Amino acid sequence: MSGVRFRAECSWKRHIAEQLKHRDRVQRQAFEEIIQQYNRLLEKADLQAVLAERRQTEKYDIQNRHDLSPGADGGRSETLVQEMSQIRIKHQEELTELHKKRGELAQNVIELNNQMQQKDKEIQANEAKMLEYQQQIAQLEGECRELRSSLQDLERANQTLKDEYDALQITFSALEEKLRRTTEENQELISRWMAEKAQEANRLNAENEKDCRRRQAKLQKELAEAAKEPLPIDQDDDIEVLPEEAAEQAGDTSPTRGACRTPSKRNSQQPPGGLLDSISNIFGRRSLNSFGSSPENAEAHTGVCVEVRVPTTPLHVFDAHDGEVNAVRFSPGSRLMATGGMDRKVKLWEVISGHCELKGTLTGSNAGITSIEFDSAGSYLLAASNDFASRIWTVDDQRLRHTLTGHSGKVLSARFLLDNARIVSGSYDRTLKLWDLRSKVCIKTVFAGSSCNDIVCTEQCVMSGHFDKKVRYWDIRAESIVRELELHGRVTSLDLNAERTELLACSRDDLIKIIDLRTNAVRQTFSVQGFKCGSDWTRVTFSPDGSYIAAGSADGTLYVWNVLTGKLDRTLGKHHSSTINAVAWSPSGTYVVSVEKGSKAVLWSDL
Amino acid sequence: KRMADDKDVLRDVWYGRIPTCFTLYQDEITEREAEPYYLLLPRVSYITLVTDKVKKHFQKVMKQEDMEEMWFEYEGTPLKWHYPIGLLFDLHASNVALPWSITVHFKNFPERDLLHCPSNSLIEAHFMSTIKEADTLKHKGQVINDMQKKDHKQLWMGLQNDKFDQFWAMNRKLMEYPTEEGGFRYIPFRIYQTMSDRPFIQKLFRPVTAEGQSHTLGDLLKEVFPAAITNDDDQKKYQVVIHGIEPMLETPVQWLSEHLSYPDNFLHISVIPTPTD
Repeated sequence: MSGVRFRAECSWKRHIAEQLKHRDRVQRQAFEEIIQQYNRLLEKADLQAVLAERRQTEKYDIQNRHDLSPGADGGRSETLVQEMSQIRIKHQEELTELHKKRGELAQNVIELNNQMQQKDKEIQANEAKMLEYQQQIAQLEGECRELRSSLQDLERANQTLKDEYDALQITFSALEEKLRRTTEENQELISRWMAEKAQEANRLNAENEKDCRRRQAKLQKELAEAAKEPLPIDQDDDIEVLPEEAAEQAGDTSPTRGACRTPSKRNSQQPPGGLLDSISNIFGRRSLNSFGSSPENAEAHTGVCVEVRVPTTPLHVFDAHDGEVNAVRFSPGSRLMATGGMDRKVKLWEVISGHCELKGTLTGSNAGITSIEFDSAGSYLLAASNDFASRIWTVDDQRLRHTLTGHSGKVLSARFLLDNARIVSGSYDRTLKLWDLRSKVCIKTVFAGSSCNDIVCTEQCVMSGHFDKKVRYWDIRAESIVRELELHGRVTSLDLNAERTELLACSRDDLIKIIDLRTNAVRQTFSVQGFKCGSDWTRVTFSPDGSYIAAGSADGTLYVWNVLTGKLDRTLGKHHSSTINAVAWSPSGTYVVSVEKGSKAVLWSDL
Repeated sequence: KRMADDKDVLRDVWYGRIPTCFTLYQDEITEREAEPYYLLLPRVSYITLVTDKVKKHFQKVMKQEDMEEMWFEYEGTPLKWHYPIGLLFDLHASNVALPWSITVHFKNFPERDLLHCPSNSLIEAHFMSTIKEADTLKHKGQVINDMQKKDHKQLWMGLQNDKFDQFWAMNRKLMEYPTEEGGFRYIPFRIYQTMSDRPFIQKLFRPVTAEGQSHTLGDLLKEVFPAAITNDDDQKKYQVVIHGIEPMLETPVQWLSEHLSYPDNFLHISVIPTPTD
């Protein structure tokens, strides 16, 4: 059905289409061309007609002229002459016209020539200018070359100077080293000299005494002899007096001897005592001023040389780092002070007349600094970092020398051994590592069993304070625990006194203890209402002479205890606005520096 | 394919041409002999709209004072300019030899038979009014009234400048209808005869029956002009011509209206006697 309809539809539609096509063939296509051609012909014919018409009129004019001429020959020639003259006039006119034109053209030519000359001149001028510029360029290029060569010369000179400077620097450090050694030698000599002087004094004393005794004996003998001699009794005045004196002398010799001995003894003791005083004075002053003093010497002479001052006033409060300041330490010479912060930097400060001036920044660490130490000569600085590494810089040129990597956790403390050639580091990864600085490798790894918060070293022994509340003692050679001591809180900090006989330990139970290393027993405990240990890495310190301890509290107060009396000596508040992280006491005893969780550091003294 | 065919039909209708020979009326006063002028007249346009060239041609041989309004006449019948050219030809000259020979007059304007046409704006007004009438039949005039002035202008300019695409871009809208109704409301158509008192027949005629059946051209003629239909036995008396062709009586009027309408949207159907020879 639909097929039929479709076909039907198709048929009427096809019919229409075909019809239309047929219609167009018959009515349109058959005529299109012919009509177009016809119209074109029509246009042409029109054009032709126009042209023909024009010609017709011309012809007509000529005809007219011919018609106008009369039949007579004379008249005709007259008209001819007339015509000729007309033509001539016309030609004359044309000629003058052309002359005029030629004149104009000649004028034009002249003008154009002028213009051309002008242009030529311009071109020449431009060429001259170009030449000039080229010369200028060449000149400038020459100058440029000269400048470049002079720059090279300067650079070379600079390099030479730099090399020289480096050489001098090396010489300087060598000389410094020599100075240090000489100073050490000097100190040793002084000590020997002192010992000898003391001996001499003793000898002198002994000799004096001997001399005195001899004189005494001689006097006694003389007295005895005098007693034996007979007395002339006939004398009046003098005789009365003399026996009294003699009786007195004979009756009691001891007071006389004492009276005689005391001044003599005083006399004999005076010179050596004065000598000793003067030596110690000299030594003390020298020691205070000396740049580097070896720990052996320091140990030997601390009692004499250090003049410890308990801090009373803040001299300088300053922003040390961007963010938390974790560590602080004085150089052995007390002149320099180093701080380490969470901003990954170690900063060197020079303490000049109660002021800290930034001397340099040691960069290279990829995370916050946790601990700082100078070697005993003060030429190297060791810092432990949260980036699992410890680093060593040279202090003088502030260059990073070694990076000791190998821990798998934050390094919380790193210390030089006393030979300055090895380092012990303690880490959050619960190991201690021993490093050799000559070969720059880890010689030993010790599994401590707990995260190590701080380390101190004596000649043979390394002591480490741990998260598990224990202080462990290690023999460097044996790599085993010699002994251990358990406290009541996580150990945050360790410090030794100058003689390395006492260990100062701070723990999270807010107690600070002094442990006698010979007996391995707690000798003294310090605590006070208000003192709070702020973190697992709060560092406390002995004074250089070991007679005071200083510790910073969570509330920003600095506490100083007297070790001898065991009592709190001083409470210094108000200058920190956050938890004190670490405290350091200058080896000279003059300054104390405390650093805090904020960005501040405070320099204290008694001035 | 079907759509393409339909488009071709629209194109063929639009581009239909009639070869015409214009001859100046013998009594017109000329200075020279007037050559005849030949032209292909577009079927869908109006004669006064496309004969500027004719006027110019005859101006060349005539004096200005002898020229009044130009009018056309074919074999004694003045040609109405307000009928499309195709309709004039189909109605008056379907079966004569081509080209169509038209006589051009500049005098004696037949006031009774023809309307004056002083300018093209009059043609435009007539064209637009016819379109509006057609749309009134198809869509109650809604589509043409919804168009803007410029849309109307586009329809007219399309026709005037013979731009098929321009015209159909707008005319397409006039050819739309709701699918569910199957076509326009009424088919706009006019049936013309040469021998009649009435100018044309125009009635309301729906494209589909009440039952939804499509009405064909045959149905339309049966209702409006039954004489045009030839019984099977009889000799064919009339030709039913649109655009110069005789569509089959089976052709649906809706389709015819959409495709074979003049630009004025009317189906102009000529019913002419079958030539005897």
